[in-house]
Formats: sequence, structure tokens, C-alpha cells
Amino acid sequence: MNARVHWSGIDISLEGDITISQVSHILKKIKKLLIEHAQTSITIDLGLVNKIDTAGVVLLETIEETARAKEIEVQWLNTPKSVKQAIQAFSLTPQTMTGRQKHKASFFEIFGDWFYEIGSHLHDLFYLVADTFYYAVNNLFKQHGKRKGEFTNQLILIGMNALPIVGMVSFLIGLILALQSAAQLRQFGAAIYVADLISISMTREMGPIMTAIMLAGRSGSAITSEIATMVVTEETDALKSMALNPIQYVLVPKFYAMTVAMPLLTVLSVIIGIFGAFVIALTYLDIGLEPFYNQVVNALLLKDILTGLVKSVVFAWLIVILGAYQGFKVRGGAAEVGKATTASVVSSIFAVIFADSILGLIFYFGQPVEI
Amino acid sequence: MNSDLNKLYMIEKTQKNHTPIVEVTHLTSGYEDFRVLDDISIFAPEHQITIILGASGCGKTTLLKHLIRLIQPWSGSIRLFGHEITSLDEPEFNTILKDIGVMFQNGALLGSLSVAENVSIPMEQHTSLKEDMIRKLVEIKLDLVGLRHAIDLSPSELSGGMRKRAALARAIALDPPLLFGDEPSAGLDPVTSAGLDELILKMREQLGMTVVLVSHEVASINRIADHVVFLDEGKVLFCGPLKEAKTAGIQKVDDFFAKG
Repeated sequence: MNARVHWSGIDISLEGDITISQVSHILKKIKKLLIEHAQTSITIDLGLVNKIDTAGVVLLETIEETARAKEIEVQWLNTPKSVKQAIQAFSLTPQTMTGRQKHKASFFEIFGDWFYEIGSHLHDLFYLVADTFYYAVNNLFKQHGKRKGEFTNQLILIGMNALPIVGMVSFLIGLILALQSAAQLRQFGAAIYVADLISISMTREMGPIMTAIMLAGRSGSAITSEIATMVVTEETDALKSMALNPIQYVLVPKFYAMTVAMPLLTVLSVIIGIFGAFVIALTYLDIGLEPFYNQVVNALLLKDILTGLVKSVVFAWLIVILGAYQGFKVRGGAAEVGKATTASVVSSIFAVIFADSILGLIFYFGQPVEI
Repeated sequence: MNSDLNKLYMIEKTQKNHTPIVEVTHLTSGYEDFRVLDDISIFAPEHQITIILGASGCGKTTLLKHLIRLIQPWSGSIRLFGHEITSLDEPEFNTILKDIGVMFQNGALLGSLSVAENVSIPMEQHTSLKEDMIRKLVEIKLDLVGLRHAIDLSPSELSGGMRKRAALARAIALDPPLLFGDEPSAGLDPVTSAGLDELILKMREQLGMTVVLVSHEVASINRIADHVVFLDEGKVLFCGPLKEAKTAGIQKVDDFFAKG
């Protein structure tokens, strides 16, 4: 039965089913009546109410609150037993627990909270970095607290399994860079310098940064989701209860694996990238293996190679620590794991690019241009 | 743990038989500004099964987390084996943790390891036993909980009850004198639940453990509890023997046992 609202002056009568599908319609009508017929008191007859649900009870409470706000007294008439029972069953019980008191925060409180949050993130991150390096050194000399075979396992997961994607992307990057630069350089009869251009750019920049970005997406996200799931399913608590430190037991093997795998993958990326460039040199510029090889060897300095390797190690640490940080700070359920994984990839890639620019400045700032 | 403290700890363990193994005094704590436990004082006697009970959300699990220092209290004291754990540094507390087994609500088995590897973690980390010896001990522990057939399965291949039993096997891996458990029977059918209770009783008899469990399963409490701690909205309504709890005339406690 549909609900109906009858009124005559200040007397309102509710009829039929006061259920969730009818509530908005009734409330709208009654609010209109209260505005149009401003009185000091009204009567609402519930005698013909057939059925009432939770939303119906809330409606009656809302009507009373709305009327009270307008200083109108409501008198309920002929309330059936079923409605009384529903009101008793569905009304909110008084809150006895001391809950969090919500209040509107002022600008300074918001600013203070924001500042405090950033501070606590930095504090936690600092402790994670300190603990990771402490246990990374500690694990080299102690047997306790590490899992047998875990380093090899992680090296396979982080390093070996990433070989195909790193190899493929690096080959294509080398190929594309060579193709684009060859088109320009051959106009000046300087096509042979494709070898210099690609070898230096791959070694100093593209090799480390492309490998880092791929590992941030592939292994950084895996580290975050694994640790976050362990936090959510209380596995990290279980480790703590067994007197094991989760950083030492879970993170350090990944830290080692990343520290070893990243430079190796970077070297591979550089070699394959240069090979990609050689394919273009051979097919597009008619440059043979020997002149190309000689050009690469003459162009590359030891400093370029070391720069690339140092960068790759720094990137590895950034990815593993930011990935773990996002994982360890997860609280809640599955949705939080997803959010943490996304945050890990975004923050790692940003940190890698930011660190690259800082390292670029450190290594090459103020260096005279060689002619 | 330094050697003096270690010596003291061992003396206390052997001599103070009547000292409560777990003693909490005026503990107040919560999450951020939300108070969960309000000035509670409880104890758990040695060699007895103590059950922390109460309605959902009353702070049982939070109290248990305090007992293994997963969270720090706002104020108050927590003593395990006579040692104030809130002020111990990490190596000292780790020494105490080696005498404690913890069984988490959903098992908290490491998903990347097999059941056998999970059970062997405490032995690998805290003893110098050889691999074949550890394997034998793992088989014994799993046999005790009736899971020897699942020794090489991964946690994802286990049912809820099996996971809890595997967690119990891991918790008793080092034959700890103190066992903590968070709702061991929750979500289990009555037969499996009774089986797990019998297992805990057996562990207590065979290994002389002191057991502290969180539970709100009345049938399970009646089967195994010697001593109960009844929490209500973050406060202690009763702390004492189970029989006395039922005759103390506390309305909420009576309702809990009558309706449970």
C-alpha cells in the first residue's frame, strides 16, 4: 500500500506503508506543510499507518526534529502498537562509549595536522632507512633473523624474471634513439656519431633510469603488495611475536637482491640498448661492427660507466625502501593494499627521476665542455 | 637480554611458582584519541587456562596485543614472568618472546611458506638444531595438532580450522611456558572447535603451559577455562576463577553465560 499524507489545516494524517521507498516523498510534503502553515503546534495522526520500517522510524524522528527547530510542537495521535514497537526497536540507543569527538577544525588545526602528518611520515621513513641499513649490515655477519635461500629466491624474482622485459625495452629504446638521431646526424655527414650519442646516453642516463622505472613498476609494486598483505593478515605481527624483526626477516633479502640485481640489469640494459643502436647503424647507416665498436669504446669513459652504476644502486635502494615503507604503513583491508601499491609505484618513479637529476648535477655540474 | 637479567629471569621462572605469569596493572590505552582500555588490572595464574572474554569490541584483542607488546599503552604496567615489558629494550623483550607462543585469530601463517616451513621458523631462528632434527620436531608438532598429512601444503590450501591448528603448532614449536591465543575457536564448527579445545588442554597437561586466550565462545570457555577476565567497554568487570564468575552476581557476566 502506498503512503498518503492528508492534511486539514494543522492536522496531518499519515496512511499506508511508511517504508524506505515512501520516506523522501512524505518528508518533502510535510516540510512544505510546516513552512506553509506556520503554527505553534500540529497533530499527526498515525492511526491508519499499515506498516513502518527503519526508514519510517527515522522519518518520524526527523519530522519531530524539523518541527522543533521551527518551534512547532508535534502531537502524535492514534499511534498503533506496531509503530510503537518499531520505534522502540529501531531508535538509536544512547551512546555510552567514549567516542572520538568530532568538531570543525580551524585553519591552524588543519595546518598543524598536515605539518604533523608530514613530520611523522619523514620520521617513520627515516627509521625504516636506518633499520634497513642496520639489519642489512648485521645480516652479513649473523645467522639469526634471516631466511635460508631467500636471497637467491628474491634475486630470481627481482632480477632474473625481469630480464626479458628489461632486455626488450632497452633494445627498443636504443633502436628508437639511434633512428631519430641518425636522421639528423647523417644530414651533416656525422652518422658515425650515433655510436657516441647512444653509448653515452644509454650508459649515463637511459640505461639506469629505464631499468629503475621498470623495476619500480614490477618489483617495487610486488614488494609493497607483499608487505602490505602481510601487515593486513597479521603476518608481520606473527613474526614480531616470534622475536623476529619483519624488516630483517622480510625486507633485507629483497634489499640485497635489489642492490645486486639493479646494477646487473642496468649493465645488460646498456649493452642491449647499444646493440639496438648498432642494428640501426648497420641497416640504415651502413656502419659495420668494427667502426661502430671502436667509436663506442673511444666515446665511453670509465666515469660514465661508474656514474651509471652508482645511479642504479641509489635507484635500487629508493625503490625497495619506498616500496617497503608504503607496505608497512598500510592499515585496514584489501583496498588499502591496492592504494599502497599505486602510491609505491608513483613515489618510486618520482623519487628515481628526482634523484637522477640531483645525481646528474653532482656528477656533471661545473664540468668543462670538451670540444 | 644481558646475562644478569637472564639469570634473574631463570631464577624467577623456577622459584616463583605462585607468581602470576601475566600481570597487568592500571593499563590504559587506545588508538589515537579513542580510549579502548580504561585503567584495567588483571592477572593470569601459572599453569592455568585464563580466558579474556566479553562482547565484541570490548578490547579483548587490544589487551592481547599489549601482552605481546604489539602496541604500547598510554599508561600502566604489564609484567610477564615478573618482568615489566613496557620498559624492556628490544633484545631483552625478544628473549622473553622466545618463551611465548602466539596463535593469531586467522592463523597469520606466512603465505609464501609451506606449513612445515611456518612451524619451523621459531626453531630455525632461535635454536641451533640441525635441519633433520627440526624436520622431526615439526612432524611431531603437526602430529599433535593432527596435521601431519598437510606438512608440505601451503597455507592457502588449508581450511580455516586447519589453519588455526597449524598456527597452534607454530605457537608451540619451542614448547613455550606461556601460550597466547586470539579467538582460537571463532568461526569453527562445534566439532572442530571442541577438538581444538581438547588440543589446548592436552598441551597444557603435557607441556605445563600457562595459557591466555581471547574468546567469546561460551561452550569453549566452559570446556577449558580455569580463570576468566571479563571485559566490558574497556573495563574489567571480573577477574578470577570461572566458577566464581558464574556466582558473582554480576548482571552482564550472568547475561553473557546465559545467552552465549
